[in-house]
Amino acid sequence: MNALDYLQFVLAPQVVNGLALGVAVVLVALGLTIIFGMLDVINMSHGEFYAIGAYAALALGAAGINFWFLLVLVPVLMVPLGMAAERLLIRPVFDSRDRHVTTLLVTFGLALVVEDLLKVAFGPNTQRPPTPIPGATELAGIIVPNYRLFLIVVGAAIVSGVAYVVYRTRLGAMVRAAAFDRNMAASLGVPVALVYAGTFAFGVALAGLAGVLLAPIYSVFPTMGRDFILLAFTVVIVGGMGSIWGAVVAGLLLTQVQALASLVISPVWTDPIVFGTMVAFLVFRPQGLFGRLGHA
Amino acid sequence: MKTTGYLTAAAGLLAATALTGGALAQSGPIKIGVVTPLSGTYTPIGQQVRWGLELAAKEINAAGGIAGRQVNLVFEDEEANPAVAVQKAEKLFQVEKVDFLTGTVNSGSTLAVAQLAERNAKLAATTVSFADSITTDKCSPNMFRVNARAEQQSVALAAWLAKEKPKAKVYYLGPDYEMGRSTVAAFKSSAEKSGAPTGGEVFAPLDSKDYTQYFGQIRASRPQVLYTSVAGNDTVRLLTQLQDFGLLTNLQVVGASGTVTSQNIGAIGQAAEGFATGVGYSPQIDTSENKAFVAAFRAANKADPDLYGADSYGLLFAYKAAVEKAGSTETDKVREALRGLSWQTPQGAKTIRAGDHQAMQPMYVVRVAKGKFDIIDKVDADKAIGPDACTRF
Amino acid sequence: MRDRLTLSMRASHLLALVFVAAALALAAIGAASGDTFYLRLGTEALIFAGLALSVDLLLGYSGALSLGQALYFGIGAYVSALTLLKVPSFWLAMAAAGGATLLASIVGGLIANRVRGVYFALITFGLAQVVAKVVYNTRELGASDGMIGIPVIEIGFGPVSVSAGNPVGFFLIVLAIIMGLYWLTAYLLDTPFGRVLTALKANEKRVPFLGYSVWWARMFSYVLAGLIAGLSGALYPMLRGFVSPELMFFATSGNAVISVILGGVGTLIGAIYGSVLLVLLKSIIGSWTEHHLIVIGVIFMVCVMFLPKGLVGFIRPRIEERLLAGAQKPAAPSFAPVRLEAGSAKP
Repeated sequence: MNALDYLQFVLAPQVVNGLALGVAVVLVALGLTIIFGMLDVINMSHGEFYAIGAYAALALGAAGINFWFLLVLVPVLMVPLGMAAERLLIRPVFDSRDRHVTTLLVTFGLALVVEDLLKVAFGPNTQRPPTPIPGATELAGIIVPNYRLFLIVVGAAIVSGVAYVVYRTRLGAMVRAAAFDRNMAASLGVPVALVYAGTFAFGVALAGLAGVLLAPIYSVFPTMGRDFILLAFTVVIVGGMGSIWGAVVAGLLLTQVQALASLVISPVWTDPIVFGTMVAFLVFRPQGLFGRLGHA
Repeated sequence: MKTTGYLTAAAGLLAATALTGGALAQSGPIKIGVVTPLSGTYTPIGQQVRWGLELAAKEINAAGGIAGRQVNLVFEDEEANPAVAVQKAEKLFQVEKVDFLTGTVNSGSTLAVAQLAERNAKLAATTVSFADSITTDKCSPNMFRVNARAEQQSVALAAWLAKEKPKAKVYYLGPDYEMGRSTVAAFKSSAEKSGAPTGGEVFAPLDSKDYTQYFGQIRASRPQVLYTSVAGNDTVRLLTQLQDFGLLTNLQVVGASGTVTSQNIGAIGQAAEGFATGVGYSPQIDTSENKAFVAAFRAANKADPDLYGADSYGLLFAYKAAVEKAGSTETDKVREALRGLSWQTPQGAKTIRAGDHQAMQPMYVVRVAKGKFDIIDKVDADKAIGPDACTRF
Repeated sequence: MRDRLTLSMRASHLLALVFVAAALALAAIGAASGDTFYLRLGTEALIFAGLALSVDLLLGYSGALSLGQALYFGIGAYVSALTLLKVPSFWLAMAAAGGATLLASIVGGLIANRVRGVYFALITFGLAQVVAKVVYNTRELGASDGMIGIPVIEIGFGPVSVSAGNPVGFFLIVLAIIMGLYWLTAYLLDTPFGRVLTALKANEKRVPFLGYSVWWARMFSYVLAGLIAGLSGALYPMLRGFVSPELMFFATSGNAVISVILGGVGTLIGAIYGSVLLVLLKSIIGSWTEHHLIVIGVIFMVCVMFLPKGLVGFIRPRIEERLLAGAQKPAAPSFAPVRLEAGSAKP
């Protein structure tokens, strides 16, 4: 097979596919990095909120609700869920000295419970909602499904939207202030408790939205929460906890590395490579590529 | 104080054990232990195993039981972890004092339980694991297998493929663990023997979300056939992604028995059309026995049986026949009775080969059409089964 | 040195003695009634208690949460299995497993100890995942099926020998080993060097100013924890006759963490109680319903939120008070408040 053929049939599609997967990973990691960067909370149950979003899309979609409407409805439904989780589970352990450990453990317990609850509610079998935008287009000889193109576009839009809210609006400023110095922000009139609960809810709503978007291509089953959680944590660490641009760059980079590496080495080694990258960053540059958001 | 409570509870448990110990003579119910995954990734399979066994037990008990004794099924969750499977199996053998054990799904658990059965002088059987090693190099005198193993599946499928698409180039995509690699190897040797060239092979990690990273290689090799031994969710993702990328047109997809089953065919949808496999069972087998079985299964569980459900159902009847032939539930007598035993199942007549405790049965080639598993070819039992490679007994 | 830590250690020792007494009593009952299953279940609980002990050493004393301790447990188990398949000698297997985990934990410690807190947790998690995956795909180690066929060995003590297949005998041996590891760890923690570890958890930044090396302290505790996990893991194939990669998976590490939280972080004996408790819970709940994860998850969350000291941590302060009261009685007069008389204060 000559070089041009290789470029067109193997390399280029690999890059495009890596892009679609990258966008998916970024969406999941975005919520995680916001929760860590703003709240200093390690959310081990993030994957389960992703699963809840997917199951909600499945159930509501089967009840006849249109996919486009679901894109808005599901995240909105997840907000009260997130706020409840923050208030009932995170708030009590938030002020303990080893907050990182206790929030990690409490959310780990939550993940166990939610995974089993989903199995009870929906059964153990795999299900899949229909693809909202069927068909594929051919771009310069590469066939790409339309839905994946849509994902890339929507993903970019969501990331830009989130970045805009966080960096350019008053709401975002309040959130960043509360993350930087809780007491000062409170004395300046920022409703800190509400901001914390709201931020957590926002983070998990993003995860739920990712679930809705990815359900048609990755299907829905009770243990799906574990699918992305590893990669998402790696992206958050490599990109820098709390950094939105870090999550984007790291997410896209890591998925490209994964996609291209599987061309030359056995796919089994891609996971160790990803972990090795995480370890390398943790050891040599723990603040990641772009450092932290709430804490400068 | 907590510790005294613990002490009394444990003492109570031990005392209860001692008391119930000698109670089971040859007149009480026959207890059959089932160690199967009821939680975790393999739950769908465990569920089918459970349904199949429960239906069989109900029918046997309604017809008077085994040699006049009622059948009692005792379930334990193995969480698809061999360490847990062995612990629960030991509980069933030593505390519940079951006469027979079954239900393990992954081959690691089956092998570990086989060893345990030997150490407890009891018998066990598997109705799901299809790793060849269980009845070849790692065979055990206390373990029986009533389902078709990997080699039987691939012989049937390869024979059909040689007829249907002679000398077609095959690309192999398997999940990267023992089962995945051995099923690919088994089919590859059968296919290459009948002259089908290999376009390439790749092993994807289990639970891969995105198979698109392998599509470049697949496309480049331009195969006519794709063989895959992924299962469960992985199949859903692989096939739907293949379809999304337009790779399914002009590609015949074939796979292992467990790749497309009634568990995941709903989620795969249209992408499963045309998929062919060699398997020991299809709900569409056209015999009155099978039709009755499928109807009863559907009525009880609101779902179709798949190969795991059917094989588990059949196992209980094999045990019944063996115990009645041996006239007792003693391990050595039942073992003798099971060797060479022939009995009726919804799939036809099965025979347990004495040399390696592997069930011989007619193998079907089924193809998915409109969500149903249509039978398009059949291979006789003795042609499908490979040579006896068990040297331990 | 008699201070708060010694006192709480003494309370732990008391609970440990209670535990040993209970275990011996159970062994006696088991031997009398000819039971095999519960004794072997208890042995398995003790083996995993050793793993939980190693997690508590790290979490409770140096404040480092290790989410991948099962890695060393698994290495110990596999090395022990490989040794036993060649030479069925208990001492050789234990030595080999100990040596292998020593090396592995030195390497692991060099990598993991560069970071702290949640980063440490993630690295240990990642290490365990990667190695587990390598083992899962290695044919020589049995790949995903694991290795069966580990023989039932004879454990020799000079003229006397106990078979690993003897439920009571092996239970007592494992009990002795695990409690031995507990007492060794407790002893080490009571030394000045052990106090440095506790200081790490209390205020790591200050430790160098007191003249101690943080790095050595952390490495030491990490390697010791790895060794404990490895020696416990080495006992597993002797009990069950097989090993599989699942021994290294996150589920095993996660169970150890849950055991430690349930029993009580930082008490050492809490890890052992917690492990036994978890095995009991899983067995009992598992028989009622297959949704045992929900129940255990809820109990776990409740413990993290409301009982951060775990069950032992709940009971221990009461014991401490009793011990303190008992120690204070003869010295009471010197603790009596001095009465100041008007005009007696000197400038």
